[in-house]
Amino acid sequence: MKKVVFASGAVLMLTLGSAQTPVLAQEKTLTISVYALAQDEYKQIVYDPFEKICGCKLVVETGNSVERLAKMEANKANPVVDLAAVSMADALAASRAGLIDKIDTAKLQSFDKLYDIAKDPNGDGMSVGYTFYATSIAYRSDKMKIESWADLLKPEYASHIAWPNVTTNQGPPALYMLGQALGKDTPDLKGAIEAVGESKDDIVTFYEKSSQLVQLMKQEEIWAAPIGRFTWAPFAKLGLPVAWAMPKEGQTGGMNVMILTKGSKNRDLALQFMDFWLSTEVQTKLAEKMIDSPANRQVKVSDEVAGNLTYGEETAKSLKLIPSAVALDNRAGWVKSWNETVGQ
Amino acid sequence: MFQNRAEALALALPAAIFAAAVFLVPVIILLSDGFRDPVGGWTISAYTDFFSNSLNQTVFLRTLRLGAIVTVVSAVIGYAAAFAIVSLEPATKGKITGLVVLPLMISPVARTYAWIVILGRTGIVNQAFQALGITDAPLRILFSETAIFIGLLQLFLPLMIISLISALENMPKDAIPAARVLGANWFQVFWKVVLPLTKEGLVIGGTLVFTGSLTAYITPAILGGSKVLMLETLMYQQVSVSGNFVAASVIAFILIVMSFAANILLKRVATARNKVRSQG
Repeated sequence: MKKVVFASGAVLMLTLGSAQTPVLAQEKTLTISVYALAQDEYKQIVYDPFEKICGCKLVVETGNSVERLAKMEANKANPVVDLAAVSMADALAASRAGLIDKIDTAKLQSFDKLYDIAKDPNGDGMSVGYTFYATSIAYRSDKMKIESWADLLKPEYASHIAWPNVTTNQGPPALYMLGQALGKDTPDLKGAIEAVGESKDDIVTFYEKSSQLVQLMKQEEIWAAPIGRFTWAPFAKLGLPVAWAMPKEGQTGGMNVMILTKGSKNRDLALQFMDFWLSTEVQTKLAEKMIDSPANRQVKVSDEVAGNLTYGEETAKSLKLIPSAVALDNRAGWVKSWNETVGQ
Repeated sequence: MFQNRAEALALALPAAIFAAAVFLVPVIILLSDGFRDPVGGWTISAYTDFFSNSLNQTVFLRTLRLGAIVTVVSAVIGYAAAFAIVSLEPATKGKITGLVVLPLMISPVARTYAWIVILGRTGIVNQAFQALGITDAPLRILFSETAIFIGLLQLFLPLMIISLISALENMPKDAIPAARVLGANWFQVFWKVVLPLTKEGLVIGGTLVFTGSLTAYITPAILGGSKVLMLETLMYQQVSVSGNFVAASVIAFILIVMSFAANILLKRVATARNKVRSQG
């Protein structure tokens, strides 16, 4: 009997023990929260070199931005994360919720090297952009001609397109541009949502993951879809005549930013990390691997690499981004009117 | 088997603690969120809100409808297949049963992605339809209820067939010939002899298929997408896009209730038939 109890106890101890990782008490630790994208490359280009420079331990938490923000909110009183990478609108949401602090940009040597739009994207001093991307339309140039965002909904095209669901990062910007094309550009995006709603039975799908689109394009299930530039590379490699549209209303897009948690005990270390990530060296390496388009204007890359990124001052200036406050104040309303008009 | 209860309990203890800590407690916390009033106390307002929304109603009814259709169709096909398999030689029977089980060993992601190729505009189904002159232009099958139905049926049919095979094997060998000799037609044989004798297999298979269809995520996500939402895909949207954990917990609770209700209902139907028989 004793043996059995002992054995079961031992099994339990083993299970619990293996879940813990030893932490060296004397070591400085910086905890960052990032998108779960290209982590192998980030480790190689950003995380490992930084650990060597700072002599500290970097703990990386990943997930989508909704989950990560919810976690920061839950740990508000006793913050775990020191620095987070989120979208512009989520940075404003975190700021409104009192989760983050102003960034002391005087301590960032790379700050002056950034494009102007990346320096203070929300105009509140609470975030710094580290990458941005254009959103436009990838389309089969042998099957259709795209000169305006509204062309996608032409009766002869609508049954061959995928449109981003309103809940994706590309959804609202695409609707925003469609609204501009239709001359109905109100912050509630009602005109654009109604136009999509009228074609909803024709439109092949409202995609949630852009990775799905490559296969649909390959199978000729779709001829066109609004996508972010960061997903362009696999389309270009399909061996089909796929082109990147330059609609007359322009391109839209988004920006990802870094924020600093209020009450973080590792502020200097977090700033050191932020500066490292924004440095010309690191931003160049990330660009060359086609992971992030650089926010640092001193980054120089080959034409081939530039073609797969959102690159250059002109492009940066020309992007029509939805202001964060508009996105934040209307997000719930967009999803609601989308669900009422398109979702059923 | 054990000399005293304490030994048995001690052996069960690690598993029990593990299940309680990582399953039971989190589930209770999760589900209680749906009943918590933000102001304090308890309320069912999250549920009334959920059902008063027309999109949620559509999604709820669609999930129920597709689950029921998949279960009924897999029962019909399942009986036919199970009959054919149990009448085979033992060696062949083993091989064929193995083939039925084989798809269960392949990842549902791979299986579902295959359907995108098969059901697409340039896929084999549309090519065949056009070659046979059934349609002129390719049909749109992907991203529809039909696509989800096909995907779910393929996913869960093996479970129904296996349940029915074991039920049919346990049926007395002479039951069908006896019924025939006594003048029953094939419909009567099935309805009055086979069905009552295999109902347990049907209840098990039906519960597995129905619950599986309700709670499948990958198939409706890939073959239906956000154009044809089911409760599972709606739940994912609520958590990971809207951050609305209360609505997600409401959906989780509804799914659990639907699964239990299906099992109870199927058992009831089975026992009700028993009573009719014993009275008649």
